[in-house]
Formats: sequence, structure tokens, C-alpha cells
Amino acid sequence: MIGLIKKDLLNIYKSIKLIGVLVIFYGFIAFIGNNPQDFSAIFIFIFAMLMLSTYSYDELAQWDRYALTMPLSRDNIVQAKYIMMILIALMGFLVSNISLLVLNRITKADYIFQGIEISAAGSVIIIVFYSIIIPIITKLGVTKARIYFFAIYMVLFMSGSFVFKRIKDKNYIPPKELLDLFELLIKNIYVIIPLLVLLILIISYMISIKIYRKKEF
Amino acid sequence: MNAIELENVSKAYDNFTLDKISFSVPSGTIMGFVGENGAGKTTTIKAILDLIHIDEGSIRIWGNSSKNLSKDIKAQIGVVFDGSNLHENLTIENINRIMISIYHNWDQKKFYNYLTKFKLPKNKKIKDFSRGMKMKLSIAIALSHNSKLLILDEATSGLDPMVRDEILDLFLEFIQEEDHTIFLSSHIISDIEKIADYVTFIHEGRIVFSENKDELIYSHGIIRCPNEYVPMIDKSYIVGIRQNSFGAEVMIKNADIFKRRYREFSLEKTSIEEIMLFISRGKGADV
Repeated sequence: MIGLIKKDLLNIYKSIKLIGVLVIFYGFIAFIGNNPQDFSAIFIFIFAMLMLSTYSYDELAQWDRYALTMPLSRDNIVQAKYIMMILIALMGFLVSNISLLVLNRITKADYIFQGIEISAAGSVIIIVFYSIIIPIITKLGVTKARIYFFAIYMVLFMSGSFVFKRIKDKNYIPPKELLDLFELLIKNIYVIIPLLVLLILIISYMISIKIYRKKEF
Repeated sequence: MNAIELENVSKAYDNFTLDKISFSVPSGTIMGFVGENGAGKTTTIKAILDLIHIDEGSIRIWGNSSKNLSKDIKAQIGVVFDGSNLHENLTIENINRIMISIYHNWDQKKFYNYLTKFKLPKNKKIKDFSRGMKMKLSIAIALSHNSKLLILDEATSGLDPMVRDEILDLFLEFIQEEDHTIFLSSHIISDIEKIADYVTFIHEGRIVFSENKDELIYSHGIIRCPNEYVPMIDKSYIVGIRQNSFGAEVMIKNADIFKRRYREFSLEKTSIEEIMLFISRGKGADV
């Protein structure tokens, strides 16, 4: 399985180098704009795109049917992708925080905690996003799945803005119980979010394994 | 012992069916798997490699069900598909690093020896390789983890005769070890005639024959005669007939018995390619 992760890392190595250049470029913009905390979120999302690239490279080479002839099980192939996804989210988190630290030093500002919070939230969004996306890619392949990404994005975005608009128009005040619940959630956010992410990851992984075991190549 | 055994394997698609195919590949031999495009060669190979789920039947590799092969057994099988399945932006060095982690029995030294032998550049990206170079690289990978069974799907197709010859020689070298086996699908019959011990012919999803190559060639022959002579021949000897206004060509099986029974006909030697063509394109004895 380590071989599969190596394969993905070697494939995206060139893109990682490109991201290094982008870090300097955006860092410079952030330096001028004096808002390093915004810059940290960008990197998480740029890193996240790398995960899609690993699927595209595999699909282009028809890698999976070849990999399955090697001493690897079908489960191994799915496991490697989930590990890779978490690795990419972690890499994004690390790179954005290191660059944030450097920028803080240069600008002599103190955005560290805020920046870390933003990049942690970014990493969580990426893991949840891929937990939804990986089973779809596993089922349809990355080319077909791309259409679904846009559909999911549009549905979420449009329904979100619709609900928000309705609430705003009606000047709706949520019931006290709901507000209390939100308060409780926010108080325990550092426990609830990781547990929730873990749960989503496990469910996603189990669905992907089930799909991949039945897949034909 | 058989390296590969298929028993009544079926797989139905909307427009194609692999229909209860059975054959076995004895250990220590080269089996050529022939048939026209779309006959079911790749589907059969995918079934052997458990890349597709068969509807019925059983497939065994060295006596083990192909569905639950252990990683140790899988490590002894080298597979080459018709196209390169390696990522285009990787180099040979990258491939070596990946394979070291995948195959516990990866032989780095052997791999680099093959690369030198094939004159493959180590630092060039695979996208800059020609088709022949990609194929040689895939074969080098298949041979560099002490494989005992090679499964090759159209591995020599699309290559120039020089490269094909070089690769066929390599297969002959591989088979020198007593327990090494090759299962090679191809529509280039001359390659199969050159190296195979056994030939399995698949036509429209069914196995037409699976026999020793030499016995197959010796037991068949062609007679050329006027059209009106054809009805004189017992139908049980006729594999296929080609007719035109000048006369008929008839592919005969059980050549020895036929020669003794029909001394008036002169039986000419034939080839696997001709036998296949008569079966797939010639008329049957009833026409």
C-alpha cells in the first residue's frame, strides 16, 4: 500500500513544486494586503485539488486494472486513496501554517491563532468534501464524477443562499432551544467537529470499499 | 500441474457473451490464446485476473481460486496489457521506487539489467517513450519480481517485427525454467506459431479448440479440388470450405485417417492461421 501512496506523491510532486512558487506569490500579495489569515485558507484548497489530480492520472493510465494484478487487494487501493486524502489535507494545513508563521514574522502582526483556525476549518471542509466525493469517483470515475461535483456544489450553494435569504426576509428569530443547542455546539466545537469528521470519514470509506469490491475493470 | 484452469466460465454482457469456456494451461509451457478482435480474449484474461466478476464457472491459478489469491501468489504473476498502464509523467527511477514497495520480491538489479538490455533511458518520462519502449518497460516489470507465470494480453501487437522478435526471444529465455509458464494472447498468429506449445482458439466467445500446437498442425491439412469433388468427402473430416469458380479448398481434420481413406486426394500442410481462417470465415460442411 505504501507503494500506492508513493505513486500518488511522485505523480503530484511537480504540482507541489508549483504550489511552492504560489506560496511565495500569494505570500507577497498577503504581505502587501496585510491580511495573512485569508491567505492560509487559499492553500488548503489549492492542495485539495491535488487529490483530484491523483485520480485523473490513475484514470488516464488505466492504473487500477494494472494495480489489481499486483500483490494488492481491492481494499488496499481504496485505503491508499483515503490515506492520501488525509495526507494532502495535512500537508495543506502544514504549508499554510508555516507560511503564515513566516508572514507574521515579516509583517510583525499577530494573526497566528486566527490563521490556524481558518486553515483547520479549511482542512475539515476538504476532508468532508472528499468524503462525499471519493465514493462518487469510485463508482463513476473522475471524469464522470466531475459533473456531479458541480451539481453538488450548485445545489448546496443555491439551497444555502435560498434558505439564508428566506430567513433574512422574514426577520426570523430562532427559538431559544435552537440557540442554546448552537451555543452548546460552539462551546464543544473542538470535540464535536473531529468526531463528526471521523464519523463521516468512516461511513464514506465503508461505502467506497463496498463499491470498489463490486467494480469491474 | 496446471498453472491456469478455467471450467465452464461464463460472463454475459449486453452485446457479447463468454460462453462456458474451459481450458487449462499446463505449467512449464507457453499457451497462445488466439482469436479475432472482439472474440473474447481480453474478457477471458480479465476473468482470470479477477478484474471482472464471472457469472458462473471456476478459475484456478496453481489450484487456487482466482477470486482469493494470496498476495504471495499474486507476486509470482507478471501481467502485461496491450497498452502501458504506467503514469506518463513518471520516470523509470520513479517506477522502481514504487515497485520496491509493492512487490516484496522485487529484484532491482534484474530490473536495471533488463533496462540496459532494452536500452531504456532511466530519467526520461514515460510520455516520451515510443510504444515499443513502453511495452518493453512493462515486460521488464513483469519479469523483475521472480514471476513464475506471465499473462500477456496483446503484448506484441502494434510493435515492429524487430522489437517483436526481441520480445519473443525473451519469452523463450523465460520459459527455460521448468516451472515457468506463459499465457499469451495475440491476434498475430505468426508470433504464436513461433513460440507456443499449446494453442487455444476462441471464436465469438466460445473455445473452438485448445490443443498442442504441433499435433494441431499435423492433424490438419488442406486439399484443393474441383467443386464437384467436395460432396464425396465425409463431412466429419471437414473443418471448413472455401469455394470459388475455379475450385474448392477444404480444411481437413484427422489428417492421418483421411489420407488412408482418400488416397486420391493430395493433402497439403497447413498452419494455425489457415485453420483459424477456415473455421471463422470458411463455409461449414453442410453448406
